[in-house]
Amino acid sequence: MNFLGRDIISMNDLTREEINYILSRVPEVQNHPNKASLCNDKVSAMLFFEPSTRTRTSFEVAMRNLGGKIGGFYDANITSTVKEESLWDTVKMHDGYGFDVIVIRHPLKGAARVAAEAADIPVINAGDGPNQHPTQTLLDLYSIRETQGRLDGISIAMVGDLVNGRTVHSLTEALLKYENCRLIFISPRDLAMPRSIIDKCARASIDRGVTFVEAGRIEDHIGQVDVLYMTRIQMERLQERALAEKFRSIYRLEASMLSDAKPNMKIMHPLPRVTEIAQDVDETQYAYYFQQAKNGLLVRETLLALILGAIT
Amino acid sequence: MKDRPITIAKIDSGIVIDHIPAGKAFLISQVLGLNALARKTGDIIAIGINFESQSLNKKDIIKVENLSLTRNMLNVVALIAPMATVTRIENGKVTEKHKVDVPDSVGDIVVCPDRFCITNHEQVPCKFVIVGKGPLTMRCHYCETEFFGPLIKYKEKN
Repeated sequence: MNFLGRDIISMNDLTREEINYILSRVPEVQNHPNKASLCNDKVSAMLFFEPSTRTRTSFEVAMRNLGGKIGGFYDANITSTVKEESLWDTVKMHDGYGFDVIVIRHPLKGAARVAAEAADIPVINAGDGPNQHPTQTLLDLYSIRETQGRLDGISIAMVGDLVNGRTVHSLTEALLKYENCRLIFISPRDLAMPRSIIDKCARASIDRGVTFVEAGRIEDHIGQVDVLYMTRIQMERLQERALAEKFRSIYRLEASMLSDAKPNMKIMHPLPRVTEIAQDVDETQYAYYFQQAKNGLLVRETLLALILGAIT
Repeated sequence: MKDRPITIAKIDSGIVIDHIPAGKAFLISQVLGLNALARKTGDIIAIGINFESQSLNKKDIIKVENLSLTRNMLNVVALIAPMATVTRIENGKVTEKHKVDVPDSVGDIVVCPDRFCITNHEQVPCKFVIVGKGPLTMRCHYCETEFFGPLIKYKEKN
């Protein structure tokens, strides 16, 4: 399997075997004797048209840890985008500056695919609006495999804003590539999982033994799941302010709610959290979200090493 | 039965698209860019609406006095008129007659219904994969949104 020069735009582009392969290479990069020079002389263009904390920082640190360098911008308002330069032209220009890889985050869906078509060098999607965030999904899958020892047969509840949250879309589509998973989608009706994804689940139930259910209360499912995947309400993507306020605090997980949890259960969250996980949960054996965020660094290092040809 | 002699003249060389559901001919003409083709080549394009049909009761028909439309290009007709037939005529003789097949993908003829899609904000030609044929369902190549039914809107082409 060869990832040299490959774009990573959507989980839909990756097969189950390719996902497994990427995840399986993580220990090799972490234990590589020459890790600090694996990507010597390589430079990553960071094109961030939208705010980011973890994704941006972890890509930066990942590049630095491998001996590479970074350039680019983190605020599109200080670029020619304000002069209405097109995304295509912005990417084309960076493509010609001698960078080796582009990492892009953009508020519009499909922007990363456009960037990949504009650039000769590989492009990694670091989030394109509410569409895809494949490196987040890879780190989620890595975290699930780390804590549960497998991806087949996982029982997972996804909670919160399932209509706007790209991580839950990508994660669901990725888990549909595995066998016999049980997916529980917990959200208010107005923020339910999009119909197109529910339809995919229905198809996978025949092909891969997936079972799924849409529900409204966390409490009814805590005792059944291996992973409780919490998400925040995406206030910035809700059109109606009143709707945003209504759902702001609709789900709040507290330590007292975890008495029925299975011993192996882990709580994950793509972060940032707002009010949906109380701080008293952090001290429980179930909290895994900060370790999950750390795993993001490991997975992104591995992906960069593969794409830049430092490992095969 | 009332005599209704109106018809479209035979063509010596060109393409006849027949068995179009009544009322869909203008949309097909728009999707195929026939107006632009006519302006560019000066060739005659005849659009007939509400002709009598045994199988459809009423049907539309398009005759294009031009042979440049390939079978692949004509397959987009199947998106709108799955039962349409295409007859290719050269020097007064029928050289090919075939049904249209729903293509695996379509280009810049449909508008992505997702308002957050990059194609609705920048000049990016749309591309769609056909992911279902009954009902016809498309997936945007860029934003990956899947849609069907009335959400499939064809672009206006001059």
